[in-house]
Amino acid sequence: MAKIVVIGAGFAGQTAAIYLGTRLGKKHEVTVISNRDVFGYVPSWVWVGVGHMKPEATIFKLKPVYDRIHVNFVHAAAKEIHPDAGDQYVIGEEIGTGKQVRLDYDYLVIAPGPLLNFAGTPGLGPDGGFTHSICSLPHAIKTRDAYLALVERMKKGEKVKIVIGTGHPMATCQGAAFEYISNVHKDLVKRGLRDKADLLWLSNEPALGDFGVNGVQIKRNGHVMRSEEFIRSIFEDAGIRYQVQTGVTKVEEGKIHWQNYAGEEGVTEFDFAMLIPQFKGQPFKYIGKDGSDVSSKLVNPAGFVLVDGKYGLPYPELAQTPEAWPARYQNPTYPNIFAAGIAFAPPGPISKPFTNPNNVAIAPAPPRTGMVSGMIGRVVALNIVDMVNGREPSHSERMTEMIAACIASMGDSLWDGSAVAIVMRPVVPDRKKYQNEYGRDLFISHLEMGTAGAWMKFMLHHTFMWKFKALPGWELIPE
Amino acid sequence: MSEQQFSRAEKFWMNFKLYQLWRFIVLNIKVYTIAVQSKFR
Repeated sequence: MAKIVVIGAGFAGQTAAIYLGTRLGKKHEVTVISNRDVFGYVPSWVWVGVGHMKPEATIFKLKPVYDRIHVNFVHAAAKEIHPDAGDQYVIGEEIGTGKQVRLDYDYLVIAPGPLLNFAGTPGLGPDGGFTHSICSLPHAIKTRDAYLALVERMKKGEKVKIVIGTGHPMATCQGAAFEYISNVHKDLVKRGLRDKADLLWLSNEPALGDFGVNGVQIKRNGHVMRSEEFIRSIFEDAGIRYQVQTGVTKVEEGKIHWQNYAGEEGVTEFDFAMLIPQFKGQPFKYIGKDGSDVSSKLVNPAGFVLVDGKYGLPYPELAQTPEAWPARYQNPTYPNIFAAGIAFAPPGPISKPFTNPNNVAIAPAPPRTGMVSGMIGRVVALNIVDMVNGREPSHSERMTEMIAACIASMGDSLWDGSAVAIVMRPVVPDRKKYQNEYGRDLFISHLEMGTAGAWMKFMLHHTFMWKFKALPGWELIPE
Repeated sequence: MSEQQFSRAEKFWMNFKLYQLWRFIVLNIKVYTIAVQSKFR
């Protein structure tokens, strides 16, 4: 009987757990260890953050789901990983009791989601800082409360400055911040308060609409349209000011300090700010048989798990080497360890990196959330199924092959809400396969805005909650 | 109106419910077909 441990129960971990549980759970031991006992549907937290969705509607308890699909659940925070052959186990600290738990494994999936590195930017974040975040449910609730308090001030006639974007020069997840600023705009329009707010998009992207994936390009009426033009149209139309190529370096009460590509330093004042922090890998300890630190064999300096990618290539070479992106998400030193979602170390950035004259690197990190996370979770789980059944891992999907669809909400109303539907293939440009300057399939890639997007976003919330609960037919719903 | 803003016609189609229903169906088919292809690679 094989023992499989999955660390984390987010998009990647939960996808892996339901595939593993339904395929192996009856004959083998599948265990999920997570510091949260609920699954959280992250994409809907933008609606929680403006008070349009109840937090309870975005979560469900994990244990009853796992009981149905033959998965054990341990409510604990993973702390140590002991990967050496012969004695492989994970040490966790039980939530509530602090008791130490030991989980032996034959196969390990590391999918704990990101460490929100608010400490990377002094003054950033809701805990001890001056800005807000929608990266966790407690943060989204705090953001909602602060936003609604701001709305009350605006109702009294006060004019306010709202800044939304990225809070670190190397932050990722610009898409979530874009959704949040669009939803704030729409909410204020509906409340008749839009003229009371100055909305500013502040981001580390090289250009508007980059989203950390080098933008999206589509063919329309015979010419190529870029997401930069599309998002600029949206912002112009909504009266949202924008400042890109900017890395936030410090936050004080009501003041955001930044540097831009030219090396200029500046301060932007705000009454309310929602800035996405830098993401890092979880700070697990990786301990060898002799008690030594073996983290260099498993993770990069940022704590992301090294997998079967080619690391260390300079950006121009990486941009021409699609096979440098990992296919199986399997650690080369410990082939029974896989990483999924944000946890795996990408071989480099997707968008062109930039270092300003003050030596500050301003570049979005590659996004590995949502659909990408789920797809990697599936690939990893199916490869473990292969290995448990005595076969070679047969599943692979590089980000240079992967298609991703993203529905960016711009108001949740099913009548007058809207969303941008973005489809891109591949997520990471493959300039060998697609012989155009963008390295993408311009026929499949898609960019469209309208009420249909709001309907799709609503539908995705319910279908994915269904899927992640492993309810009948879950497997028919793609990641 | 700035050159970068959406035209009146574009805005009309973005909010015209019958057209949006058509786009909803098309988008779903497109996304589902491609995602399923990826799933069974």
